Amino acid sequence: MSAFAAGQAVRIADRLTIGHTRVPSYVRGAKGTIERVLREFLIPEDDAFGRPHGRRQTLYRVRLAAHDLWPRYRGLASDEVQIEIYEHWLEPVEEAKQ
Amino acid sequence: MQELNERAKLLYRTVNDLGGLPREPLNLTEHPLLPWEKRCHALLESLNARGVVSMEEKRRGIEDMGQTIYAALTYYEKWAMCAANVLITKGHFTPDELAQKIAQVKRRFEEGT
Amino acid sequence: MSESHDHEHGEHAPIQTHETPGEWEVLEIAVRELAIEKGLITADDHRRLLEGIDGASPMLGARVVARAWVDGDYKRRLLADGSVAFELGIDNYDRTNLIVLENTPQVHNFVVCTLCSCYPRPILGLPPDWYKSPSYRSRAVRWPRAVLAEFGTVLPDDVSVRIHDSTADMRYLVMPMRPAGTEDWSEEELAKLVTRDTMIGVTVPRVPSPPA
Repeated sequence: MSAFAAGQAVRIADRLTIGHTRVPSYVRGAKGTIERVLREFLIPEDDAFGRPHGRRQTLYRVRLAAHDLWPRYRGLASDEVQIEIYEHWLEPVEEAKQ
Repeated sequence: MQELNERAKLLYRTVNDLGGLPREPLNLTEHPLLPWEKRCHALLESLNARGVVSMEEKRRGIEDMGQTIYAALTYYEKWAMCAANVLITKGHFTPDELAQKIAQVKRRFEEGT
Repeated sequence: MSESHDHEHGEHAPIQTHETPGEWEVLEIAVRELAIEKGLITADDHRRLLEGIDGASPMLGARVVARAWVDGDYKRRLLADGSVAFELGIDNYDRTNLIVLENTPQVHNFVVCTLCSCYPRPILGLPPDWYKSPSYRSRAVRWPRAVLAEFGTVLPDDVSVRIHDSTADMRYLVMPMRPAGTEDWSEEELAKLVTRDTMIGVTVPRVPSPPA
């Protein structure tokens, strides 16, 4: 069972990168919405250390507004970065939208 | 990202994490892969297919080699170095076995065999 | 500006002769031979994967896009499930999980891997040097229109960009918009319009002007 559903608001966590991560720093702490729920995969934190039977988590595609990511972003309000993030790096967000 | 001093920032960004950094314009010149580069690619794919070294292990291995190497070596030089490092780390062969094999390969080239 | 691909060797790739291999070529050979001797891989594994690498090129992706342009049902299935691309007899030699992204008059997609060089290799071949370069990986997600302009791509003012950062297990193929005036073209003719860079999303297909 996946914790998040398509369209749900989420925040990407911010953590140390010791021990490997595939979450780039530019999206950490950012709020976005789930674009698509993918299936479970072996997480990079285990795969990177040769643990093929390590933890599996649901992978999601997350849509992020470009103007939320970059100060003085020069583009459209509708421009997006879309990125794949594993469930254990996502936190729920209250739905109160501006 | 939280406000951090320069040294603490190193805890939060790996050497390959380039997104958003200002850089020079693109160089659109392409070079066809050298035969050894293609073979190197197939080597890592083979190790991955056999479950010996996954592509993610390779990625982490390259990050772990640090900033100097990351910036100085070409794409496939990093792959080759990483493959050797990871296989040695996992105990598949020893550094001296690698050194012996390298000497053997060089002799073969010198002798033209 | 045309897609200028000078096929010269870059500064970082000196020409090697077979009589004097560089340290890196020697290292590759040594590691591979040890891996085979230790029973970690076989020579056949290596040969098969070399063939997989050599067998893939952007022509495969172009066939997928051209088919989608002419066959609405295939297109629908492809956009719902990228693995449909491999129905055209394409060898998915590394078990790529593919997502196909459709460009529309409102949305222009393009793809980057900021962390390394993830790329849909079985369907596009190996990525170009610029795709793997710090310049592209750093700037694509932050200055998308500036980067597109360096390829000669200028989008209309009201078109949104979506930059896809290929950070995990999925790989992406952009389906460019079919150019106007190609309504009665064959699939084969259409495929010729679909270049590698249009499927990464940094350029759009151009109908060549007829000779004067």
